[in-house]
Amino acid sequence: MRIKTLWYCLIEGIKNLFKNRLMSLASILTIVASLFIVSIFYSITVNLNHTLDEFEHNIGIAIFFEENVTENEILTLKTQLEAREEVYEVTYVSEKQAWEDFKGDYFAGREDLLEGFDEDNPLVGSASLQVLFDDISKQDHLIRLLESESIVRHVKEAREVAAIVENFNDLVAYISLALIVILSIISLFIISNTIRLGIALRKREINVMRYIGAKSMMIRGPFIVEGALIGVIGAAIPLIAISNFYDRVIQSIMTQFYLLNDFLVFIPVEQLMVQLTPIMLISGAALGIIGSRFTIGRYLKV
Amino acid sequence: MIRLENVSKTYPNGVKALDDVSFSIEKGEFVFIVGGSGSGKTSIIKSLMREIKVSSGQIYVEGVDITKLSNRKVPKLRRNLGVVFQDFRLLQNMSVYQNIAFALRVTETPTRIIRKTVPTLLSMVGLTHKAKMKPYQLSGGEQQRTALARALANNPPILIADEPTGNLDPKISWEIMRLLQDINMRGTTVVVVTHDREIVDAMKKRVITLKHGRVIKDIQRGDYGYEN
Repeated sequence: MRIKTLWYCLIEGIKNLFKNRLMSLASILTIVASLFIVSIFYSITVNLNHTLDEFEHNIGIAIFFEENVTENEILTLKTQLEAREEVYEVTYVSEKQAWEDFKGDYFAGREDLLEGFDEDNPLVGSASLQVLFDDISKQDHLIRLLESESIVRHVKEAREVAAIVENFNDLVAYISLALIVILSIISLFIISNTIRLGIALRKREINVMRYIGAKSMMIRGPFIVEGALIGVIGAAIPLIAISNFYDRVIQSIMTQFYLLNDFLVFIPVEQLMVQLTPIMLISGAALGIIGSRFTIGRYLKV
Repeated sequence: MIRLENVSKTYPNGVKALDDVSFSIEKGEFVFIVGGSGSGKTSIIKSLMREIKVSSGQIYVEGVDITKLSNRKVPKLRRNLGVVFQDFRLLQNMSVYQNIAFALRVTETPTRIIRKTVPTLLSMVGLTHKAKMKPYQLSGGEQQRTALARALANNPPILIADEPTGNLDPKISWEIMRLLQDINMRGTTVVVVTHDREIVDAMKKRVITLKHGRVIKDIQRGDYGYEN
């Protein structure tokens, strides 16, 4: 194909957009609405995942050991655990440290009550390894492995919390997926109808082109361009909106729901846009092209 | 150049439009195809253009069996066949010049060649002075001449005219026929589908007569043999 043909398709595609003003506007607005909803859900998902990631790092398991186990054996296991992919962090809490923590938690300011205990640590044998995960879904496997170790007395796990977090993750993913499917179908339907009207408006011209012997790319190209433009414009508008309002929305969430501040961790707008921009533009263009091809296949025969 | 071998066409609604039609047209010929409505004239043109696929038989255009042509190669076939219609089919939003240039543009002709070719075509059909006018500002004869120039833009070896004088008064019809004859003289094969008895009788060209989808007469230097 010649460069000139490419230009021709592009220019005629833009002309189609204006010739077919009302329908073009209607389909652009539909895409805007669809992709806006999709991108809001995407932002929520990304932020939730981000929050959950942080949260995941705070739930883990504690490994307690048999009484005759030495500190060296424990530290060897610690090194082994640290080498594992799913493990985020391993902390060694010695008997002494455990006692200090206990004192700090329950007797803060009343240390006098504990006099005499120091020489005789009541938490003997309570040395432990605290393991935090990158991916809590993989904790089950590690727990089974640890329980078969002879030096391990008991593994305290956070299984239920893990399950809840995982389920919530899945739920959000399913809702997003369902929404994307429904909105894509609506968008495809509107775009293909717009293109159908465009074809009807240019019926005479198309007929002349056909019997003159124009190649099918020459006839179809402008409509594919028109579809792609509708998609890309439809994607650009929500992108601009989100990049402008994201910070403000977060601000208002932070002030309205200040109780959640400790729990929610937002990603910065730049990071969001880097992910969102290519996804939106590509899906916009894809929706437009697929929608127009759909109609072209049915209404523009050789 | 054009050869039909035992061509039949039955439409999905059961109407038999062509029934075992065979004839051939040589390079440089001037041929009339005549017959009443429903005789199969339009089906022949549509089959030649590969707008419809025939039910059986072969059609050769420039040595290629077009009944076996893939969709992708149809544009190439159509560039061999210039067509004009009774209703001209000009694009109303374009000038005479643009209508002719359009035919070259959509076949990806370089601009340099378009600029050279269109004036030649305009002078051939005698419309140089009306190049900037829109089709609705022209008479019927001028519109048909524009359509002829457009049909010849890509220099096809064959020109098909489907009732070219159907919308024109007798005097203008003769102008168009003279133009078709000129075009034929330059070596283009011309096929005219018509039911204009006066013209067919006066031109003394080969006449193929169709009735109910069959060729009933094929005579050199013939006349309008079909009786209503």
